Amino acid sequence: MPEPTIPGPDADDERRIELSAPATPEMMQMVHAVLEQLWANHEDVAMVDRIRFETAVIEVLGNIVEHAYRIESGGSERRFDVRLTATDDALIASFGDDGMPASIDLSDVVMPDEEAESGRGLALAMAAVDEISYDRSAGRNHWRLTCVRQRG
Amino acid sequence: MIEFAVDTTAEGVGVVTPKGRLNMASARGLKEVLDGLVAGGTSRIVVDLAETTFLDSSGLGALIAGLKSARQAGGDLRVARPTEAVTTVFKLTNLDRVLRPRDTVEGAFDA
Repeated sequence: MPEPTIPGPDADDERRIELSAPATPEMMQMVHAVLEQLWANHEDVAMVDRIRFETAVIEVLGNIVEHAYRIESGGSERRFDVRLTATDDALIASFGDDGMPASIDLSDVVMPDEEAESGRGLALAMAAVDEISYDRSAGRNHWRLTCVRQRG
Repeated sequence: MIEFAVDTTAEGVGVVTPKGRLNMASARGLKEVLDGLVAGGTSRIVVDLAETTFLDSSGLGALIAGLKSARQAGGDLRVARPTEAVTTVFKLTNLDRVLRPRDTVEGAFDA
């Protein structure tokens, strides 16, 4: 069983922002705001990397909000947490949520044809960043996204 | 939150300008605006994306749905002046052909 992918604490706090919140559509705006804070702390991150990373983060969060239903506690409130980290080389997002198993095989994800009105979320996230992983452990879903930063 | 400015030109073209982020929370609003235009007889529509700061797959779905209903009604939906964030998402999803960005709102139906 793989370990949860959320990294341990590190000393360099301003490189990292964490948020824990109910998994509701309203939280999307909050995550956009948190990303704005990350960019304010890291003005050197190229626009193209900001766009790629924000796109993938919002698509994965959308997937969590849309598809994750909590098994325990009568399905009342699902929660997610996210940790966003900027290093000199990469932008990294680690999500955890207590929703149902996502039953997703990322190797099966393909971009739908141009007529499709839905089903692009994960394909877009995968196209946007360099690496996405998903695993289920200790009753939680764990997503990790890595966007390798463009060389200036 | 997002706002949608809706205008109709002298030529009868509907111009919709989403101002803000087009995401899961706001895509339905765009779809309603586009459906309303087509239902009201305006099937030539330009979506001016100059003030759309973010676009996700839900927003894309609303644009594709609008494109299909406009075409079914004998018109078309065209997109103009996309921001870098929007252009990036069109390219990543291979929709930059079906949603080919036009340089101006006024000229969006010229060719």
